[in-house]
Amino acid sequence: MPSVSDAVSAASQAGGQAAAQAPAAVSSASQAVASAGPLSTVYYFIMVPMVYLAILALVVGVVFRIVTILRSPRQPYPLTLYPAARLPVFAAFRDAFGMRQVREHKPMFWVFLVIFHVSFVLLILAHLDIIPALRMLPPESKHMLGAGGVGVALTLSVGYFILRRFRSPVREISTPGDYLLLLLILFLFLLGDTISWSNSWGSHGFVMTKKDFALYFASLASFTFADPRAVLHGSHYHFVVLHVLLANLFFIVLPFTKIVHAFFTIPINLLRRT
Amino acid sequence: MDAATTTRLKGLFETKLNGAMRLYLDTCARCGVCVEACHVYASMPQLRYSAVGRAEVIRKIFKRYFKLQGRIAPWLGEVLPMDDPTMAAVYDAAWSCTGCRRCMTWCPFGIDTQMLMSIAKLLLIGADKEPKLLTMLSDMSIAKGEGVEETKAAFDEAVMDLAPEIEELWPAAPDRPTISVAAQGADVLYVALAGKHSIVPAAAIMNAAGEKWTLSRFEAVNFAAFLGDGKKMQIIARRIHDEAIRLRVKEVVIVECGTAFRVMKYMTGYHPFTVSAFVELIARYVREGRIHLDRSRFTGKLTYHDPCQIARNGGVIEEPRLVIRHLADDFVELQPNREKNWCCGGGGGFVALGEKDFRMSSSRVKAEQMKASGASVICTACENCHTQLTDLNAHYGLGMKVESLSHLAAKALVRP
Repeated sequence: MPSVSDAVSAASQAGGQAAAQAPAAVSSASQAVASAGPLSTVYYFIMVPMVYLAILALVVGVVFRIVTILRSPRQPYPLTLYPAARLPVFAAFRDAFGMRQVREHKPMFWVFLVIFHVSFVLLILAHLDIIPALRMLPPESKHMLGAGGVGVALTLSVGYFILRRFRSPVREISTPGDYLLLLLILFLFLLGDTISWSNSWGSHGFVMTKKDFALYFASLASFTFADPRAVLHGSHYHFVVLHVLLANLFFIVLPFTKIVHAFFTIPINLLRRT
Repeated sequence: MDAATTTRLKGLFETKLNGAMRLYLDTCARCGVCVEACHVYASMPQLRYSAVGRAEVIRKIFKRYFKLQGRIAPWLGEVLPMDDPTMAAVYDAAWSCTGCRRCMTWCPFGIDTQMLMSIAKLLLIGADKEPKLLTMLSDMSIAKGEGVEETKAAFDEAVMDLAPEIEELWPAAPDRPTISVAAQGADVLYVALAGKHSIVPAAAIMNAAGEKWTLSRFEAVNFAAFLGDGKKMQIIARRIHDEAIRLRVKEVVIVECGTAFRVMKYMTGYHPFTVSAFVELIARYVREGRIHLDRSRFTGKLTYHDPCQIARNGGVIEEPRLVIRHLADDFVELQPNREKNWCCGGGGGFVALGEKDFRMSSSRVKAEQMKASGASVICTACENCHTQLTDLNAHYGLGMKVESLSHLAAKALVRP
């Protein structure tokens, strides 16, 4: 009886062979998409210039937010909560990474928050892993870091956060922005899941492999401004473009939403610990 | 509300935007963990009575006037314009909050609701919608500071009349006066409240310890701190600061009043003297063997209410417990206690304002906590808490006795 890994490697070989055997067919398919006019221009914009713009917006936005706070007048008196921590910086880190207030009062929420945040770090690592020079997994591995598990953990926890917002009392304090932000990352993750799960566990594999994405990343990193369509073949391209679009939007809105807590959690906790 | 008022209020809001405040305004994730922390919400479960409910009123005004998002997509954060309905919500938020900061121990970020409510209170002052009684009381305190030369003779005379009562509790050493007012050469300046109950037991305790102390001509309470008027708060505190400098005392000891203690110790900048809460002084005397307390004087089961501004916000947590160990055999903690203790519901100016209906209905959870302790006597170290606990005791028919820690200690004084 063939094992799962056999089946998977057979499938990936099949995919590889197909790609190797029919380069002409693939390139003609990509030309068909490329010649589709305005859509391909939009796709190109999303996949290349917008990525740069989004990352620029992210960096400028975050720097702007941090500078605004640093340039504001200093709080004139301490805001300490007692009993005071013996090691305030350590205590602030503990608050930030342990979230003990949540653990104490909302244990279920805490479990999902921990899953979410740990997975988010792994998610960043998983995307870095695509870059050949930074490979954490063996170069021949077709898996994303976590083999799709990271994305599922994120998707499930975001699902929990959304459902939680529909329940009282969180329902009443939620603003439209809170839902939209969760929906944005939900769809971002679902598209990512589609790609990583197809590559890792799909019977025919995703048309584009990790190696193809590495070429796209390399092109971005060297500012070639080449159309990624040259390295990302096949009709699954739409998924990748949508995934990148949502990621770009996420980067752009990040500095102007509550996600800035990623940068502010430690300084804000320091206020009550010192 | 006319455009000029809106502009003025926006200007006032801007004066509060320091680094800490911006962090508090920007970071909330509306996770809802804080909701159950508030005694008002726990007693009357409406979201406007939760930390996030209150903070969002201010945050939505902030987004409207100070954030790009409020201009491009106001619907995203459901921003609020500064108009009359909003100001009604601002009043509701600020004046249903005692500033106890219990929610701050619940929040994963540690957002300080009292700070956010200080914006609300300042906006209300700007819109001439603040509780007028507190403005009056603040102005009276300031006027008293300015006119102290005219009133001091009458004040000193009234204080001297307290000597027999103090002597009855504890006779002063032959070389020390029973009581003195703003006298040079003292180590401790004791700042009391209007009312002899805040002077007599404290005087007996300090005399028993052989302290070189003198009484301040000013009352400790800072109504402007309740009101949220930072400038007036500083002026009121300054009276005591200047008096202490003039008398060259080493230490200013604040009567059992949480807000007065926190304002003096933490919120008014550097002082060239130490600031202590009176309960810290008692604990020090007990620890150093300068006074001795007789446990047998107290009968019944005792519990202790941590005043928010003394314990969670002032850091005086174990000192009262040390005193209590020397005061009573049968002591039981309230659950929860220390920094997790429920606010009594009387702080933030509520007792001064009256507000009895709101105080009683918003503190049902406090009454339940008192009852669950099974104690016959509850003591505390804050005047506001004492009044509120007394009112709760009567309103909810708890059948307890409410005491101040200094009174219990004064009554238990013995010679070694």
